[in-house]
Amino acid sequence: MTPRRQSTIWVDRFDRSTSIRAIEAMGGAVISRLQLAGRTTLLFLEACAQLPLVGRSLPTLITQLEISGVGSVLVLSLIAFLTGMIMAVQTGSELEKFGVVNNLGAIIGATFVREMGPIWAAVIMLARVGAAMAAELGTMAVNEEIDALRVMSISPVRYLVMPRILALVIAMPFLTILADWVGMLGGMSVAVNMFNRPSEEFWTSAKGILSGLDFYSGLGKAAVFGGIIGTIACDRGMNTTDGAEGVGRSTTDTVVLSVIFVLLADLIMTSFIQVILKPVMG
Amino acid sequence: MSDTAHQANITRRETRKPGDLRPEEWTRERWEAAAPLDPIPPGKSTLMELREVHKRFGKRHILRGVTIDIYRGETLVILGGSGSGKTTLLKHLMGMLRSDEGRITIHDGSNRLELGAADQAEIETFRKRLGVVFQGAALLNSLTVLENVGLPLVEVDRLPPGQVLPRVTEALRRVYLPAEEILQLKPASLSGGMRKRVGIARAIIQNPEIILYDEPTTGLDPVTVNGVNELTLDLQAKLGVTSIVITHDLDAAFKIADRIAMLYLGRIIAIGSPEQIKANTNPVLRQLLTGATQGPLTEAYLTAAPGSAAP
Ligand SMILES: Nc1ncnc2c1ncn2[C@@H]1O[C@H](COP(=O)(O)OP(=O)(O)OP(=O)(O)O)[C@@H](O)[C@H]1O
Ligand SMILES: [Mg+2]
Repeated sequence: MTPRRQSTIWVDRFDRSTSIRAIEAMGGAVISRLQLAGRTTLLFLEACAQLPLVGRSLPTLITQLEISGVGSVLVLSLIAFLTGMIMAVQTGSELEKFGVVNNLGAIIGATFVREMGPIWAAVIMLARVGAAMAAELGTMAVNEEIDALRVMSISPVRYLVMPRILALVIAMPFLTILADWVGMLGGMSVAVNMFNRPSEEFWTSAKGILSGLDFYSGLGKAAVFGGIIGTIACDRGMNTTDGAEGVGRSTTDTVVLSVIFVLLADLIMTSFIQVILKPVMG
Repeated sequence: MSDTAHQANITRRETRKPGDLRPEEWTRERWEAAAPLDPIPPGKSTLMELREVHKRFGKRHILRGVTIDIYRGETLVILGGSGSGKTTLLKHLMGMLRSDEGRITIHDGSNRLELGAADQAEIETFRKRLGVVFQGAALLNSLTVLENVGLPLVEVDRLPPGQVLPRVTEALRRVYLPAEEILQLKPASLSGGMRKRVGIARAIIQNPEIILYDEPTTGLDPVTVNGVNELTLDLQAKLGVTSIVITHDLDAAFKIADRIAMLYLGRIIAIGSPEQIKANTNPVLRQLLTGATQGPLTEAYLTAAPGSAAP
């Protein structure tokens, strides 16, 4: 056997094993991501299946509505108002150059009702409520509280998960309506105070562009966002391991994953609404 | 053991049990080996049958062939070093974890339930017979003591509040807690020992047939420890409860146990009555019982290869 031949064999082997290892690692990563996605989807379906038992979880549902809904009103209002003002200042000064500031209401209204309202509600919800939910359930998992529930034959999905997801699904559309109005109010205050336009002009312009479809699809999107945030938070929380460090990881994961999946869902739903629903419904 | 008995044992070597080996006869292989199963004594019946149960977490091989019979109505104490897999073993018994290999069979009259192959409904039915005292009490932090202890009554038995309160008060009284004072408190405002006892109260409130205790007396004062021991004995005597108790407390172990088992490197290396365990010459047990700092227990801590289970 010549040395040259030996070395080719060696190189050949080396290449194959590293490439196989790389493929394996990639495959492994893909599979574990898919498993996670599957587990999360399953949790959502399980929570839906427990929905008929909502009556027994009413106290938890009410508490969660208070925490997620009522608790978010102030922050969300503040952020929506400021965003409405900022957008009005930015777009208003551009519109003024062309002498069409009278259309400011249409632009602010359309942006808020279609996008900004639901998205801001989702952002506040995932940062304030989703993260806290993951931390709460994560601490419970680490302290064996979830195991204790299972041993007592109390379904953690019925007792903990379903009311939490449902609270977010219910709260989100209301928070979106709030964000829509407060955001437009912010825009209007700029129109009135900075560009010296009458407030009726702002509202008329907004009403002129907005349809029922815009309004209801915004609310629908918000409810879906609530479901996404709640499911991710509960899944991450319930599957927390490794003590306090794990709780931190679940919380961060919840925020990051929620942002990604909320935006993805937004893209899909908005495309559907604009491309398919709009032409049909006019 | 008397000298003559010892002599008799040596002459009939093949009938000796491993625990009767003379100290110099022990080798690592022998002290790490699984203890052979005793024949079931007359009048006893098997409730849980564990055969060669293995469990790995990733590369770490925690349970390495646990084989044991748990008899109906007995109090079995499981001893073992910290991290030896005691809690892991207990979680297998409640159907929270499934073994990688081996089987766990629950006998109920002529019915048998394979925990490894059981579906969710079967496991839930089995769990109705279980009470579990978790190592850290595992109380729900958002609920009061009343709500915590009454949780199974409200959520599973669907009892009206009027019937829950007296039973919760009674359960708390059995673990020496002042019910009136603490009913409305949240777990966070209780001491560790009180939380533990609330956890015990929750475990016994549905009158389970089988109670699993994960270190029930750790962190309790001596008087309360005695109280908890007496409670275990009392439940066994009056209600025929089967108790499986994990503990580090040797005094308590010898006080309450019908049988004591030693978990070491993922196997039951010795099992027997308290007297048999006291007389067992296995160096692992000797070290545990004498508290010596030199011996197989500490050795396993220091030499355990990364990824293997230290006791
Ligand atoms: N879910 C899990 N995932 C990964 N490793 C685990 C898991 N549960 C337990 N382990 C590991 O298994 C080993 C045994 O853990 P276990 O909790 O059973 O020990 P223990 O005997 O109860 O200890 P202690 O006396 O300290 O309570 C530990 O090293 C632990 O890190
Ligand atoms: Mg433990």
